[in-house]
Amino acid sequence: MGIVAGLLAVAAGAFFEVRPPEAYGVCMACHGRDLVDWTVNAFFGTHLPVAPASLVFPVLTTVGVLLGALAGATMSGEFRWWSPESSLKTFVYGALVMNFALLAGGCSIRLLLRTAAGEALGLLGFAGMAAGVVLGTFWLRWRATR
Amino acid sequence: MIAAVATLLIGLVLGYLGQRSRMCFVGGIRDFILIRDTYLLRGLAAFGLTAWIAFPLAGLVAGGGAPVPAGLSDGVAVALTMLGGFGVGYVSTLANGCPLRQHVLAAQGVKSSISYLAGFFAGAVVFHAWTAPLLFRVLPY
Repeated sequence: MGIVAGLLAVAAGAFFEVRPPEAYGVCMACHGRDLVDWTVNAFFGTHLPVAPASLVFPVLTTVGVLLGALAGATMSGEFRWWSPESSLKTFVYGALVMNFALLAGGCSIRLLLRTAAGEALGLLGFAGMAAGVVLGTFWLRWRATR
Repeated sequence: MIAAVATLLIGLVLGYLGQRSRMCFVGGIRDFILIRDTYLLRGLAAFGLTAWIAFPLAGLVAGGGAPVPAGLSDGVAVALTMLGGFGVGYVSTLANGCPLRQHVLAAQGVKSSISYLAGFFAGAVVFHAWTAPLLFRVLPY
């Protein structure tokens, strides 16, 4: 999975016009942002910013991932409706992650992708992300064992 | 247009593989700390290494590919990137998966992940409508 994803992410940027910016091949946050902003702009005449790659027509990575995962889940019989957590809480988490991700210029995937492309800023962002995960994990464990 | 079709197809492949392999860019580090399980962490490392090798190769084949600027000249950008990265990692851990994993879970019928995505997309508008203007006003640009 990791190898295929890495190849696809690089190929998207190099061969399929998913740029500028550089190292933009796969990013759940920015591509979702492009899709949402582009749609809102088209329907409401606003001018929310989108990446240059999505000016004419938005990138559809998020839609593809949803459909692909739906296909995988249906074929393996893993699809079922359930809700492990409070929906309001995850709604807030989603909004927070999106804001932080756009602040950093990429979700966890693109931070790693930027690091791989040799961007020092991406490496710092990825280091920050790793630190956040470590701290978050310790917080979860502390809360679970309290 | 090419980008839209290409990303749709790439997303299809990533979504399918992500569903089969439970790929998660946050879960790897989390699982390693909690239960010393390296399955997801190996996926993370494989992604990074493959991209690291493939970027120069793709640059050779496709030509162009201007060298990515290091982007360290701006102290504010560095601080914001690290803060943003930290927030992504911390909140993603609390939310039980990175954005990719949440998309996959939502497609598996997990309702809390669907509401996560609703917040995720609403967050994009919130960011450009309020967060970014606020930051521009507060920070010394």
